[in-house]
Amino acid sequence: MALTREDVRDIADYARIALDKRELDEMTSYLNEAIEMLQPIREYDLAGVVPTYHPIGDLCNVMAPDEPDAHGRALAIDVALGNAGATRDRAFRVPSILGNGEVDGRCQTSAS
Amino acid sequence: MRLLREVLRDWEAVIGLEVHTELTTLKTKMFCDCRLSHDDPPNSNVCPVCLGMPGALPVPNEKAIEYIVMAGLATDCQIQRRSLFYRKHYFYPDMSKNFQTTQGPVAFCMHGHLDLEVTGEGATERPDFTVEKDPDGGYMASIRILRIHMEEDAAKMVHVGGSEGRIASATESLIDYNRCGTPLIELVTQPDLRTPEEARVFMERLRQTFLTLGISDCSLESGSMRCDGNVSIRRRGARGLGTKTEMKNINSFKSLHDALAYEICRQAEVLEAGGVVRQETRHWEPSKRRTVVMRVKETADDYRMYPDPDLAPFCLSDDFVARCRARVPELPLEKRDRFVVAYALKRADAAQLAADPRVASFFEEAACAVAKEHVPMVANVIINLLSATKAVTSAQVASLATLLATDAITFMQAREVLELVDGTGDDPQRLVDERGMRQSTDTEALAATVDEVLARCVDQVRQYREGNKKVIGYLVGQCMRTSRGTGNPKLFNTILCERLAQEG
Amino acid sequence: MPNISELSAAQIAYGVTCGDFTAVEVAQASLDAIEAREPEVQAFLEISGDLALAIAAKTDERRARCAPLGSLAGVPVAFKDNMQLVGTRTTCASRMLEHFDSPFTATCVQRLLDAGATPVGKTNMDEFAFGSSTESSAFHRTCNPWDTQRVPGGSSGGSAAAVAAGEVPIALGSDTGGSIRQPASFCGVVGMKPSYGVVSRYGVVAFGSSLDQVGPFGRCVSDVALTMNALVAGGRDPLDSTSQAMSAGFLDNLEQPVEGIRVGVITSLMEHEALSAEVRTALAEACAALEAQGARLVEVELRHMEAAIAAYYVIGPAEAFSNLARFDGVRYGFRAPDCATLAEQTARSRAYGFGAEAKRRQLLGAYLLASGVYDRYYYPAQQVRTLITNDYRDAFMRCDVLLLPAAPTTAFRFGEMSSPTQMYAQDLFTISNNIAGNAGVCVPIGLGVQSLMPIAAQLQGPAFKDHVLLRVARALERGMEEAGRMRPGVVAPAFARRGGVLA
Repeated sequence: MALTREDVRDIADYARIALDKRELDEMTSYLNEAIEMLQPIREYDLAGVVPTYHPIGDLCNVMAPDEPDAHGRALAIDVALGNAGATRDRAFRVPSILGNGEVDGRCQTSAS
Repeated sequence: MRLLREVLRDWEAVIGLEVHTELTTLKTKMFCDCRLSHDDPPNSNVCPVCLGMPGALPVPNEKAIEYIVMAGLATDCQIQRRSLFYRKHYFYPDMSKNFQTTQGPVAFCMHGHLDLEVTGEGATERPDFTVEKDPDGGYMASIRILRIHMEEDAAKMVHVGGSEGRIASATESLIDYNRCGTPLIELVTQPDLRTPEEARVFMERLRQTFLTLGISDCSLESGSMRCDGNVSIRRRGARGLGTKTEMKNINSFKSLHDALAYEICRQAEVLEAGGVVRQETRHWEPSKRRTVVMRVKETADDYRMYPDPDLAPFCLSDDFVARCRARVPELPLEKRDRFVVAYALKRADAAQLAADPRVASFFEEAACAVAKEHVPMVANVIINLLSATKAVTSAQVASLATLLATDAITFMQAREVLELVDGTGDDPQRLVDERGMRQSTDTEALAATVDEVLARCVDQVRQYREGNKKVIGYLVGQCMRTSRGTGNPKLFNTILCERLAQEG
Repeated sequence: MPNISELSAAQIAYGVTCGDFTAVEVAQASLDAIEAREPEVQAFLEISGDLALAIAAKTDERRARCAPLGSLAGVPVAFKDNMQLVGTRTTCASRMLEHFDSPFTATCVQRLLDAGATPVGKTNMDEFAFGSSTESSAFHRTCNPWDTQRVPGGSSGGSAAAVAAGEVPIALGSDTGGSIRQPASFCGVVGMKPSYGVVSRYGVVAFGSSLDQVGPFGRCVSDVALTMNALVAGGRDPLDSTSQAMSAGFLDNLEQPVEGIRVGVITSLMEHEALSAEVRTALAEACAALEAQGARLVEVELRHMEAAIAAYYVIGPAEAFSNLARFDGVRYGFRAPDCATLAEQTARSRAYGFGAEAKRRQLLGAYLLASGVYDRYYYPAQQVRTLITNDYRDAFMRCDVLLLPAAPTTAFRFGEMSSPTQMYAQDLFTISNNIAGNAGVCVPIGLGVQSLMPIAAQLQGPAFKDHVLLRVARALERGMEEAGRMRPGVVAPAFARRGGVLA
């Protein structure tokens, strides 16, 4: 069940990496080769094995107190914006969200 | 389109809500120690973490975890001791890392419920409920809560160059990360709601609960509490579910109700005309009182969720949960029931006072300062005479309620007294005495006033004797006016009746 | 006068503290060595001369005031260019971050500065740490100081080369699958990957968050121990949720004999077909050197070792995709000009900003996390991680440390690895350690008889037994010195005396 160029184009679209035709070919063969290399993962009997997402033993419930700027990390506006390619006044600036007639779901300013 | 009540006779609506609440009463953000702010200039409360700078790492705010556990306890959720934060990916710059840190399949709080009491006119949206059946009451509905999970809010984006800041015609957008990373809890209900009124009451109850917990200012208007509604309809008696649409941009209880009502009627119209409802996100336009399509959802989004490796797992201890439990104050419904029993209040009055924790504690302060039998009058004063703009103390309210309960002044006078003591701190009883406003119960003096009025109002007396008993109200009013409000209206009424009967 | 590259970090700190030389003199000597050696080595992406001299002057000022000096007083140190340091750029050797000014300082960097170290610059690396040869740097190659026709290894190749060339006595690197240990092995220096959680990751640009760990390079084990002390002395870092406290006693028992210590060996790995003959021979000598000091060799096994590379190339790319999603050209980083829409700007900025390997890993990660695929690879990979962790737990019941190869061969030539997956095999012996979160260290054990390039042995120890691990590393170093195979502190001969006189 090898990945096709179309599959890879969809993945690249999702990952927001524009690929030209040559890159798309290269990435397609790379991904298929890499996935082949991953097959050992599927060869073990893993029934009932608990996954380890964090290699930290029993460490849990790590939290910080609700104290404003306890570590003096707040950034001055010039530092906050200093590495940005486009700003306006005190804000970061991006081009139009929607192109002509393009439908994009992210119309809300809120996360949900 | 047909009216909602008509539509709901043929169709059953199935409604679920997703409610986002910012934990505005915290001092800092969810995963960094930046100050929470609402009105500061753009990007003034940002740090490497909430700007998603390379190398920055999150550390969860302990108090935010306490708050969500309190929210879960207050809604009878099972608190999940073990849970993880996940990364939810989508490329959009309102999330500085291009993923949102949120929870996975297991949330801190799961499987709770909120019980609603739907009363009044709104209750009749349910076709099986009629006022004739139950004139004073309403019905109870238990709404299951699927989960409440912890996450972080997104940045604010302003769309520039288009009309009304709308995204469609904007040429560019400006991003302010002050809000990015604000602790946010998302509550998801089961699709147990059946009418827009139930949805409205649910939100109201939830808001009261969160306000009582003190975890948020819960302002729908400013967006610290936000609600999305999912609705589908099916023929009455049908078992399956119809295609649902999702309603966004709801910023008041009324909008929630009206948007759902509109959408139910719209879907019914589509289906009755033989059409199909498309799965889509719709935007409520309050000014035009309609919903419009925002986005058609053909396939489910793939957010590529996976456990966040930067955040250690949670394994909440009994102690932690017990500490949270101890911090959950008396909730509105418990408070209402106690008010009914302890103070002999009417259920509706008790519910109204208990709804807002500040009002409830103001009431209880005032109630402490009056004789037990006068407490209902305190409730009466708060509900009927006070408005948000009045600067009066609970002691003043207690004093005023005592005056009313002992018939020392009339309600009309009470309004006047309230105006006079507003913002002064003066004791109403002293003011009434100083101004000689105390209502007279001296029967002889009142009888003299009655006689004067009867002598003057020959026409009304004749009408009364001819059988128009309603005219007594006019005569009591005349007595009140003549006594400049100092007479007791009940006594006037009694004396008037006696006199008019005698000389018949 | 001595040459800067003849002195250990400990000797420099001692000399500065005693007033034998000033921190500024040391900084100048280091900068002088860098100037003389860099044209051929090219270990650095940025040399922070002004910052180094200013900080060194402050160290001297403290001494003049009789204020206490830190354990690294005046020691020149280089940081891998994925570590934030205010006053320098942090580029991750990527066009994406070519002009990125560090807006804050990483905890690991700050801790070395707090110990009095002088930051002389930022070192080259594989782009975003994806690689094992430093060849994927967007800016230039780094040459192995032992043979400039060969790679220094990677991804922390610049840090390893800078130490091996004697430009600095110590440097920091980061290790996600072997990125400290393999270049240490190639460059003939000591390189340690501490247990996951020992060193804060705050301010280190993430690659695989559950695998990444920062650690030091030095030309001798004691300098690595000295640096470890400085890294952990401040206790756990409240800014990194996965950070845990570790005592700073790395030097306390370093010289203690290893008599009775059980050293685990895995025959199948020691005789692995990928190993070159000279590496095999050298490893046997390393075992013998430890045995000669009373250590006991025990045969152990790691049953799921073959699955480690596969598990790693699931977990690593998945986390990398997620960590690199933030580079969209909005808040920082390369921004493609003149784009009509946000989506176009994002896709074009990322297309230009990332090199081929960074794109490969992200696409692989994005694929592996997709719904449906997640259950076939990501979830089982994390289950395999449990099996590997259990294997180690069982092995460490029978032994105190493991001795393994560091890399299949000595340093290879530029361009020798023709495909990405061939390059991935470089991590064969190192990645299981990252998967389990254990500690590992590579110690030079001599030069290959054919290649004449440095060979290392890798020691691995249980999580949070890093002190014991370094003690065994020191014993191995001592043994190889006694056997006449490798002199601790040695600088690549071609560079040892170029520039760097401590005037």
